[in-house]
Amino acid sequence: MNTGVLDELVSALRCLPSVGPKSAQRMAFHLLQRDRAGADRLARALGDALTRLHNCARCNTFTELEVCERCSSPRRDASQLCVVETPADMLMMEQTHSYSGLYFCLMGRIAPLEGVGPKELRLDRLLERAADPAVREVILATNFTNEGEATAHYLGEMLRARGLAVTRIARGLPVGGELEHTDIGTIAQALSERRPA
Amino acid sequence: MTTGKQRVDGQPAFLLQAHPYRETSLVVDVFSRDFGRIGLVARGAKRPRSQLRGVLVEFQPLDLGWFGAGELRTLARAEWQRAWPMLSGPRLLLGYYLNELLQRLMVRDDAHPALFDLYAEAVQKLALAPAETVRHEALLRGFEKALLRELGYGLTLDHDANGDALDPQARYVYKPELGLLEGEGSGDDVSMTGAQALALHEDDYADAQVARLAKTLMRVLIAHYLQGQELRTRRVFIELQDL
Ligand SMILES: [Zn+2]
Repeated sequence: MNTGVLDELVSALRCLPSVGPKSAQRMAFHLLQRDRAGADRLARALGDALTRLHNCARCNTFTELEVCERCSSPRRDASQLCVVETPADMLMMEQTHSYSGLYFCLMGRIAPLEGVGPKELRLDRLLERAADPAVREVILATNFTNEGEATAHYLGEMLRARGLAVTRIARGLPVGGELEHTDIGTIAQALSERRPA
Repeated sequence: MTTGKQRVDGQPAFLLQAHPYRETSLVVDVFSRDFGRIGLVARGAKRPRSQLRGVLVEFQPLDLGWFGAGELRTLARAEWQRAWPMLSGPRLLLGYYLNELLQRLMVRDDAHPALFDLYAEAVQKLALAPAETVRHEALLRGFEKALLRELGYGLTLDHDANGDALDPQARYVYKPELGLLEGEGSGDDVSMTGAQALALHEDDYADAQVARLAKTLMRVLIAHYLQGQELRTRRVFIELQDL
């Protein structure tokens, strides 16, 4: 039995995040044995996505168009530009229905120990986007992890140096949060970033 | 230190780096006070509601418990000992640099309690000391020197390679593994006066020239012991300065 094709499928599935050899094998058998129609659909969808989707010239998320619908919508406020790490973060911001500006998605964050710096993140594209004279404020909404903080700090420096107003989303106790049930890290940070009441 | 099957609890430690592992877990590289650098599997730490997500954070003094033996032990519990403010800006990058030095120069399962205390002190300064009171260069040089000393690569800067006292006016070159040799040196040699070597020995970086010399000397020595490995944090730091 020549299993070269099967081996290739299993090793190809391992390119997915958190998929080890065992899961990859399970997925491959499932697709081949139990759901060949699903497998066919997956193969087509992947092919289509690869040929038709690319990064929006304005916000850097995936779109079939040159500029995505959100970026070209006249209902969005072009004076605000919100910087997020991932498309999932952007969707969360959208779910709040309290932001009507535009976005730039970094598709990552600065990760010094992994060697991900400004070149790997292609920060030149953000600079180019933020240079649009319509932009009045850049809102940094990267994560409150150490890497997200490093990213926000250097983006802030870089954008301020070019004369832009830069803000950072606030952090502190969760809405409805009680001190008694909050982790000490959050409380300590909220204390050090307290504001006039 | 040999490690049989064992259970450890209440161990002071810092997280150096976390990597995704399998579907829902993390593998964390930690620097513990009494067991050195070890690898731990944090089961389920990547699940959205995992309580470990907010605990396994770099640059915070942790209190860990684990069990098992070998390359990867299993994290049993993790708590913050106390909460320091998160590092920010260039200090965060310096913190990452310290982590990378430890990861690349310190082998696993080798206890270095004195170095652990120095690391904790350095991170605490970066987290808590008011910006204007922390001299980053002095902090880095002090840590780099202590690191080399603790790992057995100590520098000798108070006498020359033959054990003779230094002449403050004479010129010397520093050769890795050997020490100070009298002479002008050439090309890539790190050369200094006897007086400058003594200032380095005393960790006295008040003189700008000595401070620069300390930086060059450390870079050359660390590169020597890294045997050609790149320091990613240094490259990223330099690139960020140039933005
Ligand atoms: Zn767009």
